[in-house]
Amino acid sequence: MMEKIAILWPEIAMFAGTCVVMLVGLSPRAEVRRQTALLAGVTLAVAGLLAANSPGVAGPLPGMMGFVKGLTAAVGLMLVLLLAGTVDRAEERAIAEGRTAFNPLRSTRGEFYSFFLFSLTGVMLCASAGDLIWLFLALELTSLPTYVMVAMSGKGVRLGDRAGEAGVKYFFLGAMGAAVFLYGFALLYGATGTTRFGEMAAFFAAEGVGPMATAGLLLALVGVSFKIAAVPMHFYTADVYQGAAAPVSAFLAFAPKTAGFVSILLLVSAVGWLPTGGQAPALPGSIDAALWLIAALTMTVGNVLALLQTSVKRLLAYSSIAHSGYMLVGVIAGPGDGSFTQNGLSAVLFYLLAYGVTNLGAFAVLACLERDAESGEVDSAADLKGLCRTRPVLGWTMAICLLSLLGFPPLLGFFAKVPLFTSLLGAGRYWLLVILAVNSAIAAYYYLGLVRVVMLDEPSAESRSVRATPFVSRPVAAVASASAVVLLAVLGNGLMVASQAAGQYQRPAVGDGHAARAEARTSDDARAEARGSDVGAERR
Amino acid sequence: MAPTLANDGLAPYLPVGIILLMAVTFAVANIVLTMLIGPARKGRTKGMTYESGMNPVGTARKRFNVRFYLIAMVFLVFDVEIVFLYPWATTFRGLEPGSEESALWLGRIMFFLLTTVVAYVYGYRKGVFRFD
Amino acid sequence: MVGGLAGMTGLAGAAAAAGGDGALAAGTVAGPWWVVLIPLLPMLGVVLTLVCAIFDVRTKAPAWMSVACLAASFGLAVLAYLELAGGPTAVTFGFRWIDVAWGDGPGQRLSADFAFAFDGLTCLWMLFVTGLATLIALYASEYMSHDVGVGYCRFFAAFNLFVFSMACLVMADNLVLLFLGWEGVGLCSYLLIGYFYKKPSAVAAAKKAFIMNRIGDLGLLMGMLLTFVQFGTLKYAELWPLVEPYVAAVRAGHADEVPFLVGLIPVLLMVGAFGKSAQLPLYVWLPDAMEGPTPVSALIHAATMVTAGVYLVARTYPLFLVSEWALPVVAWVGALTALLAATIGMAQFDIKRIMAYSTVSQLGYMFCGMALLTSVGGAFHVFTHAFFKATLFLCCGAVMHGFAGQLDLRRLSGVGQMPGWRIVGLAMLVGCLNLAGFPFTAGFFSKDMILAEAFVTAGPGYQAIGWILLLTAGLTAYYTFRVFFRVFVGPVEYVPGDEHHADEHGHYHEEHGEHGGGLQRPAPEAHGHGFHPHAPGWAINLVLALLAAGSIAAAGAYFVHTEHHGWVGNLLHGSPAEPTHSAAFVESHGHGGVDAAAHGSFFGLDPHKAMYFVSSAIGLVGIGVAFVLHYLGRTTAATSRADALLPKVGPVARWAQGKWFVDELYDAAVVKPLWVLSHVLHMFDKLVVDGLVNAAGWLPRMVGRAVRPSQGGVLHGYAVQMAGGIALALVIVWLMTL
Repeated sequence: MMEKIAILWPEIAMFAGTCVVMLVGLSPRAEVRRQTALLAGVTLAVAGLLAANSPGVAGPLPGMMGFVKGLTAAVGLMLVLLLAGTVDRAEERAIAEGRTAFNPLRSTRGEFYSFFLFSLTGVMLCASAGDLIWLFLALELTSLPTYVMVAMSGKGVRLGDRAGEAGVKYFFLGAMGAAVFLYGFALLYGATGTTRFGEMAAFFAAEGVGPMATAGLLLALVGVSFKIAAVPMHFYTADVYQGAAAPVSAFLAFAPKTAGFVSILLLVSAVGWLPTGGQAPALPGSIDAALWLIAALTMTVGNVLALLQTSVKRLLAYSSIAHSGYMLVGVIAGPGDGSFTQNGLSAVLFYLLAYGVTNLGAFAVLACLERDAESGEVDSAADLKGLCRTRPVLGWTMAICLLSLLGFPPLLGFFAKVPLFTSLLGAGRYWLLVILAVNSAIAAYYYLGLVRVVMLDEPSAESRSVRATPFVSRPVAAVASASAVVLLAVLGNGLMVASQAAGQYQRPAVGDGHAARAEARTSDDARAEARGSDVGAERR
Repeated sequence: MAPTLANDGLAPYLPVGIILLMAVTFAVANIVLTMLIGPARKGRTKGMTYESGMNPVGTARKRFNVRFYLIAMVFLVFDVEIVFLYPWATTFRGLEPGSEESALWLGRIMFFLLTTVVAYVYGYRKGVFRFD
Repeated sequence: MVGGLAGMTGLAGAAAAAGGDGALAAGTVAGPWWVVLIPLLPMLGVVLTLVCAIFDVRTKAPAWMSVACLAASFGLAVLAYLELAGGPTAVTFGFRWIDVAWGDGPGQRLSADFAFAFDGLTCLWMLFVTGLATLIALYASEYMSHDVGVGYCRFFAAFNLFVFSMACLVMADNLVLLFLGWEGVGLCSYLLIGYFYKKPSAVAAAKKAFIMNRIGDLGLLMGMLLTFVQFGTLKYAELWPLVEPYVAAVRAGHADEVPFLVGLIPVLLMVGAFGKSAQLPLYVWLPDAMEGPTPVSALIHAATMVTAGVYLVARTYPLFLVSEWALPVVAWVGALTALLAATIGMAQFDIKRIMAYSTVSQLGYMFCGMALLTSVGGAFHVFTHAFFKATLFLCCGAVMHGFAGQLDLRRLSGVGQMPGWRIVGLAMLVGCLNLAGFPFTAGFFSKDMILAEAFVTAGPGYQAIGWILLLTAGLTAYYTFRVFFRVFVGPVEYVPGDEHHADEHGHYHEEHGEHGGGLQRPAPEAHGHGFHPHAPGWAINLVLALLAAGSIAAAGAYFVHTEHHGWVGNLLHGSPAEPTHSAAFVESHGHGGVDAAAHGSFFGLDPHKAMYFVSSAIGLVGIGVAFVLHYLGRTTAATSRADALLPKVGPVARWAQGKWFVDELYDAAVVKPLWVLSHVLHMFDKLVVDGLVNAAGWLPRMVGRAVRPSQGGVLHGYAVQMAGGIALALVIVWLMTL
């Protein structure tokens, strides 16, 4: 129990912060209400500090938890800046002008920020997960608040019914996805007789992966691929990203995706990358094939659909699909020899960080621009024409972030993409390498097209009529993202080392599993006990 | 050894499959038979919504006051609280007073109660309990 | 690739990075941390000025910020000189920059740090780079004042970036960082030459400079890579011990023991140095570079950047000693460049261009100095030249600023006698005396060291080089004082230039736009009688006075530390640039060191002593000729007695005025054939490559069109497709596992 609490301090802090934020957001006094975002930021900072000190855990991926929690807190802090003014904008203005009194039923600020924190708590819990039930609950905790946040975000900017429609679509399809992976989890339990990853890994190591386990794992992976927006569960992405307000879209591109990839890494590492006669270690044939197919289709579909877009949000949504495809490649490549260039898992974790930071910047620029307070945000590429001339800071942020998403050297995106390529190379997966390279080239077309619009086109009358949103923290988030993209490319060595440590994979030994299982059965809390004993063994 | 079905194939599911098949067959067969055998009459009164003999008034797609949902949710909070409290209470009785284990159990339920308190305060702030 | 890649080599590399540069090479000590601030402060200046640009600051604030940053940097450089000069090389580790390994063997790990090594050579360069940069930034605060606003910020941002790059170049402890600085100064040079980007000639000059430099940079890059291939490291401290055996072999007369590829390294490095320092055949960009604002010409294209080539030779001196004929080639190129540029300079009318050709010529001297095994002389000449050439350029700039861009020496006369121009005239005189090698000026001493060594050192045709350099010294004195006697003394007369910005500092660019990019030269009368020369303000006068004083004071450096041939020699003592290892040096100076019996002679005299008199005489003759031809009896600005002599020398004067038609030669021999080739390739590109590319681009779009209907926006449609996808995935996997 105590060992479990030792790894859960960030989540506990997040939960406490969430409760406070929920209540503070409903305060009848405007100056107290205004502190909601600040409190959310403080909560994330505290959680991040706690995550930095979190101990290592036993299991196939001992280092991942701390890294993911830190990453979540860090990107969360940038998101807090970006979320300012997403909800209650008209309401708060009316109150400030004295046209109406505060009505708690109409205010959604407290809910919005607490849902935001709940969702990030879910991401952190995913990283702490040691068994299937925990993982399921954590995934749902990540997703459920996002459904509501999408619908809520329409209120502030009058996206019309689009936000509501997006929320409903997201909810129903998300429920379907959850059903699929829950079914997969059930089959996994049926096949192995345990819900705990450690025991499952021992079981697979001892007895191999049977057909039922394969089916279960496959359903679980396909179901979770809803969270990362991978084929065939990607259909919602564009509609939902476009329907939600830009800050929420930025959030959607980060939180569920991170949770999804963490889950995939946990699930897949329970099976493990097995040596295949003479070749680099790979996942069992059918799982490998399925992931290969999903990855190839995901990047291709995402990129070709993005080619045809004029809506920037839809373009970023499709590119988000494509990026999921890129990251799946790292999962397929496997841990290699553990070095940063060879370890696909580290590559995925580092890519999550790079993508989270970069994509946030692109959405932040959209969030900074609006036609007017009533008709809502800018979305069409034509509205961004000549942005570098009219608003240099935003324009350059957009250009830098897009180039980084493209993987343009020497920006952060490039350094995130290189290890994906090298890990594939190390694993000898040349076909996938070719597909990845071709897709990167296709992506260059639409990213550079948008960069051209932003940097080279002359501002049109239409794009000049766009004005800035009155929230100071949004451009701050945008600039923070662009600076991070540039600076981390030079100074990101520490993060690379951290992600390399986080991506270390330890193959479960055949003998250990049964002993751990027998021991676990006797204790009050098997998982914590199994972890505790292993951790203790390390300490000894 | 836990019941492991990993390598047993689908044989254990055969009875389940047979029952499923029977259920589906029964349902489908009934409907099909009714359609084939039973008389079919259509008309305005016949197509009217069945309201236990009353004539329906207005449309069924009516908006309810949002308070109904809020109260339903607050009810759920306390409902779930009871659902958890009852088994907890019966188990807690059996624990040795003053032991570490009982303190742990007490701590757990206190945390759970705290979350319901937060929900209650939230509901209060939101104005769920004001009926004006 | 950038720093992040360090992680890719595994934890070992990262650990080394975390702990700083664990292993210091032998003979070096850890330097103080604040050395890092010397380049960082100018970088701060870049950031500050860019922030000013973003906030559209329309005051002189960017200039003051730059001056403050540069002055602080200079202060630190002085501190570094006081603390570190004379000691062993002090290496300050910044951060791990590049660290890529592809094996564990030697030469399979390319690592380069942002680390700064400080020895005497570095000190010398850093002192005058940061010092002059500070003064010239102050000067530019006034000179550029007509452009206050975004242009002003742009100017100072590039200016600061230049100092940062130059600091990286000079202070680097490895060739990679040097190359970064090398490219950085090239970039800043390009940006600043093209500062008046609405002026087509400025844009063309910027491109020319950039491309010419690329050719040189390619040489440097190849030399660098070859060094890495041959020696497995690019860090100086690790490199010299590896080069040492080859140097020893050459010294012992076994040059054939040096592999061909090692002997090729200095040749490639030389190409880089010739490109950056405007030597034959890559010198043509420098005179055109005068299109940039004058402070830039003074700092970058006269005092500092163009000496980077000389610095490269000095810094990699041991590499030049591994080949018997690398240094003679440098010497001959330097001497011929010096002569050629001086002859062109004699025939020009644009005073700034005269100064530019003079710079090319003097750079030739510096290379000769390096190659003639008196790197002390070369470095000393770099040092003195930096001061007096900056003075000269800034005086020309003051004239240009005051007379609306007028630079033609036929349209200006007696400037030094006008009210408010006294300091400019005096500073110009000081600069001219130095450049002409007037006795007991700094330029006199530094030039003499090179001249004398030409007659001392044994080498192929070094005597001839000595005579060429002596002739050039005379020509230099003539053209220098031609400018002085025509422009600064004599009857007061002027015609203002066409950059009319009057006294209220109007908007330069707008006016130029109306003039059609400043290409047209409207008749001077168009300005009417409203023009008043715009006498320089306090900033320009202060800087000129300080620089003139510095030019005079630099002579003092010759008289301290005479045991090592002056202050500069003392700084260079113990650095790799000390030439005592060379075979030729040993041969001509004996083993006893610099002051031992000199084998060479000048008509039976010791060249070191004889040269004082010979070069004084030649300099005075040059000045005298200029005095007679361009001062005596001159009554108007446009004509002088020299005009009468011109027909007698026939077409030679016209050829010299046409710069010996080198530009035209390059155009016909290189540019035109390339142009034809590029058009052929363009057609191929258009017909074949574009076709393929278009086909490749068409395919993804078609796929996109085909997939698009799946995004219909209908909820249940999505649900069905998802379910179908899952079913399909299961079936495929099932089929595969059968």
